Amino acid sequence: MKRILIAGESGGGIVSTGEIVARALKNLGYWVVTEREFPSLIQGGHASYSVSFADEPLYGLSQRCDILLSLSKIGLQSFLPRLIDGGYLVHGYERLSGIQPELAECERRRIQVVHVRSREKAMELGGTELVKNMILLGMLWKTLGLPLPALESEITQQFGSKPALLAVDLTCAQWGYSAVQQQKSLLPPTQNPPLSLLTGNHAIALGAIQAGVRLYAAYPMSPSTGILKHLAEYADAYNLIVKQAEDEITAVSLVLGANYAGTRALTATSGGGFDLMTETLSLAMITETPLVIVLCQRPGPATGLPTWTAQSDVHLALYAGHGEGARVVLSVSDPADSFTLIQTALNISEQAQVPVILLSEKQICEHLYTVETSSLEAFPIERNLTAEPPVAAEKPTHGLRYQLTESGISPRWVPTKAPSVFCANSDEHTPDGTLTEDASVASSMYKKRIQKLNHIRDHLIPPPEYIGPPEPNIAFIGFGSNKNIMQDVISLMSIKGVQVGYLHFPCLSPLDTKAISTLQEQCKGRIHLIEGNATGQFGQLIEQHCGPLFRGKLLKWDGRPFYQEEVIEYIEHYINS
Amino acid sequence: MNIKNTQHTVLYEKNTLVNSYETQEKITWCSGCGNHAIRNALIDALALENLTQQDVILCYDIGCNGNEADKITANTLHGLHGRVLPLAAGVKLAQPNTVVIAQAGDGATFSEGIGHLVHAVRSDYPLVFLLHNNHNYALTTGQPSALTPCGAKRSATDGHTPQRPLHPMQLIMSLEPSFYARGFSGEREQLTELIRHGIHHHGFACVEVLQSCPTYAKEADNSYYWERIRQIENRTHYDINSYADALILAHEDAKNGTFHTGVLYTNTTQKSEYLHYQSTRKDLSTEPWAEVTPRDVSPLLARL
Repeated sequence: MKRILIAGESGGGIVSTGEIVARALKNLGYWVVTEREFPSLIQGGHASYSVSFADEPLYGLSQRCDILLSLSKIGLQSFLPRLIDGGYLVHGYERLSGIQPELAECERRRIQVVHVRSREKAMELGGTELVKNMILLGMLWKTLGLPLPALESEITQQFGSKPALLAVDLTCAQWGYSAVQQQKSLLPPTQNPPLSLLTGNHAIALGAIQAGVRLYAAYPMSPSTGILKHLAEYADAYNLIVKQAEDEITAVSLVLGANYAGTRALTATSGGGFDLMTETLSLAMITETPLVIVLCQRPGPATGLPTWTAQSDVHLALYAGHGEGARVVLSVSDPADSFTLIQTALNISEQAQVPVILLSEKQICEHLYTVETSSLEAFPIERNLTAEPPVAAEKPTHGLRYQLTESGISPRWVPTKAPSVFCANSDEHTPDGTLTEDASVASSMYKKRIQKLNHIRDHLIPPPEYIGPPEPNIAFIGFGSNKNIMQDVISLMSIKGVQVGYLHFPCLSPLDTKAISTLQEQCKGRIHLIEGNATGQFGQLIEQHCGPLFRGKLLKWDGRPFYQEEVIEYIEHYINS
Repeated sequence: MNIKNTQHTVLYEKNTLVNSYETQEKITWCSGCGNHAIRNALIDALALENLTQQDVILCYDIGCNGNEADKITANTLHGLHGRVLPLAAGVKLAQPNTVVIAQAGDGATFSEGIGHLVHAVRSDYPLVFLLHNNHNYALTTGQPSALTPCGAKRSATDGHTPQRPLHPMQLIMSLEPSFYARGFSGEREQLTELIRHGIHHHGFACVEVLQSCPTYAKEADNSYYWERIRQIENRTHYDINSYADALILAHEDAKNGTFHTGVLYTNTTQKSEYLHYQSTRKDLSTEPWAEVTPRDVSPLLARL
């Protein structure tokens, strides 16, 4: 496994450079995981793009890199501490005197320096200053000993629409490749299954189209904006209506209205936008209108760290909205289950006529991961619609939209497409939608709506997934992107003879407690929580249901995802104590 | 179709389509409330347009208007305070061939909902918007709205409304709407015709309804309106397709405290944002409600 860190400044071509590396490695058959760090501005400020790759399954991130590709002095200074001793620094500065302390550090730490004057050469070859990145890519590729055509073909993909620029880019990459000595001889893997490289936001957009979403309405907010961008790009090909709304209240209202009228619509936002949507979430509960909101988490409160990652909106998703009712909270872990869980979310919301909140995280939303192509699975659409609504004998004009049933789920149909009318009332109502303040009817309707949770938990939600050996030395419970880091840690620790287990929840609420009981039997007193927030929000929910459970809590709230070193250090501390 | 010349008497007692919209539910508005007439005008308009329950969806805000949602035999969606316009726009996007009528009061529309109003006009959604203007928040027992005249006696004030009001036509005309009409709850036949014009309009049809509220806006009873109402047909040199004429009219009415009624402005040439959304769907004869089927994204997955 190797980790490349590309360091530079925002606006310095860092993203396109990183994506070329990630795609070229994926095309060679490697598993790839990326991470971008960038400030909330368009130009200036240090930024990085890390590409981890391996010829075996790789899911999570590390703080360390083996190769640092430096695009600017500020990038070098900020990220040199993350380069391992004995690693490689690839750079192209003209004025070596300006980075003397860094070069001295490299010598002290046995870091091999791969260097040409890239900006000068790029200009000489007919490029602009940014084209120096292609020279550096050629140098990187040669350092690793990887075949040049894989890089050339990806540069062609990235810049093919600008033929004049492309020719210079290719010349520069070829020149960079020929200018330095080969250091490694990596052999691309041949055994891996077909892999796809995509971000979580892209996967949600594709999964939504697959699942028959016809209208998407949203207001731009990091890190959810990518979903809007991708769906707008596909609107023509799939005849979608993609609406950039004037605010999140409008976005979610449009979606609720469209869902009432029988189509599938979707919205996504981040925490602040979700705050604005909450009264409509409540409306969805009482009118029992299907509603899916993708909540892409970033650190708060308020503006917080807009371009960083978090898992801190679990309570927001669980408890937002006035009054009581049924809702489902799902959480994606990577682009593969972003593609499948958005379909599940849309299905559950129609099957049970409840709001479903699908949590994602900036780390998943905006970063490229390889996933097995076969895991991007299409599910059948489940709508639970009836063509012939039941009616009461005394009022045959009105369908019994809120008929009391054993599961609490009532017949639903498309208004105007059935003989009887559909009254969706935000006031408390009788089974045909008529306003009521009768205590006994109000009480039974209230109960009916909450009662749906039993059916949802027993029949509709994706079950928890246990990863790791039976009877582990230490086990963790978590959700979201933590699955990725835990998968890597389980393999790494097993080499060291420590058996680690991880119980992953794709559905946070309603909570399936059976798997927790099973884990408790195998691992009592050795269960820990892993969460990307300061208060262990999902852990609180679990302990509400299961009683005191966690021996310890591995929590992180600095805007960064978990890195393997942190989890390993935590485990070793517990095992040794 | 020239609706203006349609001769009709009040239909509600004899027409079966009118009767089909009626219910046995007890109406809960005050006696003398303008909502009774607005409801009857709406039902008459639907019946005169031959629209059945399969052709129309009625969307309601929170306020006295919203208490109609279950007192009419029609497909209805009763939402949240101030939010009816985006809700109704969502309904319309899902069922473009269905007539969608949104109703809201002046309280919701010009306070919590004012952003939605601005963007609904700008987007030109093909909705009929019945703006119930009774100059107060009646369902919460008579607080001043943003349209309450300065000095009017309302609850939750020190006796008199302290701020100057917004003038709805002035505000909406500044946004270049494609349709603006004004009617009066005391003039039901005209109101019926205005709603019919709204149904025929291809964009956002804003119909302001001056609505008497004998319980909380006592200064503005029917005779108050009759004194101040002017028929647009009687205004000389007025062109309902002239934006300049409509702006001047809105300004004069606001200044003079008069209310011209009728279709006050139409622009049928405006290119709406709504039509832009339909541009991604130009070869389709289906509507989004009927299109929820699996879409093959494998060509896109193959590129990843």
